Amino acid sequence: MADQPLDRALLPAGLADGLPPFAEQEARAIERLTAEFAAEGYQRVKPPLVEFEDSLLTGPGAALAPQMFRLMDPVSQRMMGVRADFTPQIARIAWSRLGNAPRPLRLCYAGQVLRVRGGQVRPERQFAQVGLELIGAEAMAADLEVLLLAAGALGAVGIAGLSVDLVQPTLVPAICRGHGLTVEATAEARAALDQKDGGRLARIGGRAGDVLRTLLEAAGPADRARATLAKLDLPAEATSDRDRLVRMIELTRSAAPDLALTVDPGEYRGFEYETGIAFAFFAKGLAAELGRGGRYRLAGGETATGATLYMDSVLKALPAPAAARCVYLPAGTPRRQAVELRRQGWRTVAGFEPGDAAAEARRLGCSHVWDGSAAREVGHG
Amino acid sequence: MDRLIIALPKGRLLAEALPLLARVGIEPEPELADEESRRLLFRTSRPEIELVRVRSFDVATFVAFGAAQLGIAGSDVLAEFDYSEIYAPLDLGIGHCRLAVAVPEAMRAGDDPRRWSHVSVATKYPNLTRRHFARRGVQAECIKLNGALELAPALGLCGRIVDLVATGRTLRDNGLVEVERILDVSARLAVNRAALKTRSDEINRWIARFKEATDGQAT
Repeated sequence: MADQPLDRALLPAGLADGLPPFAEQEARAIERLTAEFAAEGYQRVKPPLVEFEDSLLTGPGAALAPQMFRLMDPVSQRMMGVRADFTPQIARIAWSRLGNAPRPLRLCYAGQVLRVRGGQVRPERQFAQVGLELIGAEAMAADLEVLLLAAGALGAVGIAGLSVDLVQPTLVPAICRGHGLTVEATAEARAALDQKDGGRLARIGGRAGDVLRTLLEAAGPADRARATLAKLDLPAEATSDRDRLVRMIELTRSAAPDLALTVDPGEYRGFEYETGIAFAFFAKGLAAELGRGGRYRLAGGETATGATLYMDSVLKALPAPAAARCVYLPAGTPRRQAVELRRQGWRTVAGFEPGDAAAEARRLGCSHVWDGSAAREVGHG
Repeated sequence: MDRLIIALPKGRLLAEALPLLARVGIEPEPELADEESRRLLFRTSRPEIELVRVRSFDVATFVAFGAAQLGIAGSDVLAEFDYSEIYAPLDLGIGHCRLAVAVPEAMRAGDDPRRWSHVSVATKYPNLTRRHFARRGVQAECIKLNGALELAPALGLCGRIVDLVATGRTLRDNGLVEVERILDVSARLAVNRAALKTRSDEINRWIARFKEATDGQAT
């Protein structure tokens, strides 16, 4: 190998090579997640990596404009965008090419997204999203299906200490409107709720101030939040949002009593395009979210709900992969024997030169060596 | 019980934070108050709680990344970073000061702010400074310094500074005058977002105790 200047290996900020064993761990986790989705009737779709920017920015994509890499298409002379999120593409497929497919429509996907800037806590600019979308079902059973399927799939890939946070991002705007708060007071309430700053909320007087402070205090474990929310005296236009959230808490608690569930009725950050029940997934000890989801509208007005998981976070929350059982086959091992071992589930690594087979097995990171009749463990020499 | 890390800022604010911690029921080992000590991690009277003592700007970073679940940070620091992963639920009522623009005495006399299109500013707060001037249509070229800001105009490094002002004495001693207030500053309890979601009972209990201790002090 000729010496290369090491700076040639530098990658742009937020981009990284996936190496063994983590690249395989991620691929297997993606395979498992999509298999879980498929098992509940979610059919795989595969939109292109790049498409015209105006289609990526309609409906649920509008909030992502500052995050999108753009390039000029020399063929059509139109501006294209690299997807920063899958949901706008799935939404486009659902209203266009699958517009007359029977509803409810269940779709899932897995692939890479690219963003102009990484987040402060998740610096990745390119990462894999794996998700599902359920289009055209108004019933709360649909919200529940998506939430439980995504949570169950995370459990199936081995996430421990999963915690789901339920939110209803339209509740606070409805309360502010119902109490006739000015645009300025609403913005102030939003900012205070985003910080969870009760003192700042206290400066918003009247009934609205009381209600918003109660919402803030309700944030936390689901059962307590449900009790507080159910008692809350709200303006008429906010009651349906509240009732929906309470109902969702009850349904989730009874369907999955062991799932760690919190509720944050004042939360809004990052849920800019959700129009109904929404949620975020956390794992104990991990600062970044594992994924999030919620209800939104397609460009044509049709209702949909979905969830997307961020594989970089998922991988950080998983234990390191167990070393694969792998057997070293000394030079000259018959091909028939190798095929038979692979059929039994072994991974095989073929040797090319004669020599100390056990030492060579160790050097190449194999757990076993083939001694002509059996696979022997090589230990850590 | 899982370990709970609280990040505390070195320096002036630490002295104000210690009595507050005591009222909350957290007694740190005495070495924490010793600014000469080179240790970074300190035990407390509660086995599950440990304290880290870091630079004031780093408190926000420790909390945002979940290295500490709670922290005491100035609102100046929180606003400068604007971390989406930090909640600041409580004004602790300590560490009061303000973030202000200051200029040399002589400059103020002949200056017409309406004519500015570009200013050069020395500051520890490039984001807040740029945002402040951008709101009035002025581009701020920020020179990031970590200390001794008051010297910068006199030595020709820049025209003005943006810095914390408590009494204003340091400014006066260096021939500077405060011309604009950007932000009133006080210390906040900073909470990591994921910790609040995944350990909500425990973290909410601590927030409530800090609130009691703060309210008790105000009356």
